[in-house]
Amino acid sequence: MANAAFREGHVDADGFRIRYMQAGAGPPLVHLHGAGGLRLTPAHDLLARQFRVIAFEMPGFGDSPVNTRTETMPEMASTIVRAIDKLGLDSFDLMGTSFGGKAALWVALQATGRVPALVLEAPAAIRQEGAAPPSGTPEEIARRLYAHPERVSAPPIDPAARAKAQPLVQRLLGPHRDADLESRLPDLSTPTLVLFGTLDGVIAPAMGRIYKDLMPNCHLVFVYDAAHAISTDRPEAFTEVVTDFLERHEAFVISRAETVIHP
Amino acid sequence: MKVSFFETARYVASKPLPSEWPVPSGSYDPEAGARAYRGMIERLELVEAIGFDWVSVSEHHYSPRILTPSPIVSAAFLAAHLKKIKIALLGPIVPQSNPVRVAEEIAMLDTMAQGRLIVGLLRGTSNESLTYDLNPAEARERTDEGMELVLKAWTEPQPFGWQGRHYRYRTISIWPRPLQQPYPPTFALGTSRESCEFAARHHLGCGVSYGSFESVGKATRYYRERCAHYGWEPSPDQIVYRANMLLADTDGEAQEALGKLPNQAPFTMRPGVREAMSTLDSRNIAGEARAPIVSGALPTTFVGSPDTVVEQVRQCRDVVGAGVLDLSLHPPGSASLDPLLRALELFGKKVLPRIRDI
Repeated sequence: MANAAFREGHVDADGFRIRYMQAGAGPPLVHLHGAGGLRLTPAHDLLARQFRVIAFEMPGFGDSPVNTRTETMPEMASTIVRAIDKLGLDSFDLMGTSFGGKAALWVALQATGRVPALVLEAPAAIRQEGAAPPSGTPEEIARRLYAHPERVSAPPIDPAARAKAQPLVQRLLGPHRDADLESRLPDLSTPTLVLFGTLDGVIAPAMGRIYKDLMPNCHLVFVYDAAHAISTDRPEAFTEVVTDFLERHEAFVISRAETVIHP
Repeated sequence: MKVSFFETARYVASKPLPSEWPVPSGSYDPEAGARAYRGMIERLELVEAIGFDWVSVSEHHYSPRILTPSPIVSAAFLAAHLKKIKIALLGPIVPQSNPVRVAEEIAMLDTMAQGRLIVGLLRGTSNESLTYDLNPAEARERTDEGMELVLKAWTEPQPFGWQGRHYRYRTISIWPRPLQQPYPPTFALGTSRESCEFAARHHLGCGVSYGSFESVGKATRYYRERCAHYGWEPSPDQIVYRANMLLADTDGEAQEALGKLPNQAPFTMRPGVREAMSTLDSRNIAGEARAPIVSGALPTTFVGSPDTVVEQVRQCRDVVGAGVLDLSLHPPGSASLDPLLRALELFGKKVLPRIRDI
């Protein structure tokens, strides 16, 4: 059943042919993947029940040609904004995972006013000193990414494709604290949800509070029993809080859970 | 060796009580209850003067055996009346509680007690699942998640949400925070693999209770192995062993008193409930399955004259590695308090001075 409804599409932007996977109807939700590349998770399926989910594959990842042109994350963001323009999306919610979290912050900074809300899943824009992206065999990578590797349904990312994208990842990821980006965050008033798994072994969950310190409308949520790949470890929990936030923004702090047992 | 006095608020019933748990609330005598709480303070002033390091309180419900359903209320009462002794809250039964409330109340207590609080977090005894209608099969998971949330609430400086498996909060930001920073000395209580693992992963102490030295020693050994796995070594103060002690002038007297102890818990659940509980509530010692305690009396592991008991404490230190003994000097629920006071005096004179350097 996994990802049955997702269909592949391509869009040309900045001379790149950019692949994306799309499913669902409703408000558009653009997703930017992590350093391993685009990989659909059960959370994509769950989100597609309420949103038109468009998961881009950034140029240089997956089967796309090696990307030696994009020098910085702001450049990558501007390519993505053009791709979004080509799809005719005026307003779109935005979600970025890890490496894609940093890309999403730059997209939100460049497309101010067009992003009603932003979700950052274990974002890699601010990292503890010495943090290293997972590397090694697919098994070693899985141990770093997941608290529940048994819940992974998609095949692992092709090691060759991953290796091909690594120079791009290193270039775009930048230093563990990016002064240029951080100096802009106090002006980014987009309602933002930052999620960290309590078992994240790639980026310390304590980085979450720095986003809250820097951004004027930021909300931090810890997902218990999830590691770096929150949406794979706990897709239902991830989708519930993301959906609630995208619907209600800061008012998502008000519970709608009912406690009546019998009328 | 440090010593802790396990205070159970000795309720002395004015008439015989039914023996089934839950004990009918209507058989409670308010005057006897008032005497029990008054007596608690009188006794603990003596305990403090004798030189105990801690007084500990626990959470148990629906019975006079240990008259402290809210250990946090007990601890606040003790902290207000006693000036020096450390107050060991062992502890809130985490799966029964709102973990955020637990974090807030402990922070309050630690601050009110001027940093004299010790904390133990635990899953609780089998019968307690009935108290607030919780599924015993979920108790383990709720405990682990609740403990993790308590620690997060104490330490996270920014408001945060918690998207758990059993708990969900959208915004948490506690005031006050504990006086002892980042939080009071905290133990995960229990012999289970999960509890030891949690304690090791979070650099907490480990608390075990009642089993033989060999059996609880398996748990503390496992705990130390897991601590080594996480790159640290617990101090002796981070292993606490709660046990019953029957101390008398001679070994003969102590053995005679032991022979008179009932081999059944004073208040037990109905047979059908006990049986069902045994199948739903799975327990282990460092991963080795053990039966939940649903009706038997708790064993007494220290028995004898002062000489004998001192030797047993030495063995306990060697086998269990405990640096703190949390002692019940006479079985809770006993009808008379005189033997407890006699044991307390004897312990202060003839045992405590000789176990300090163990």
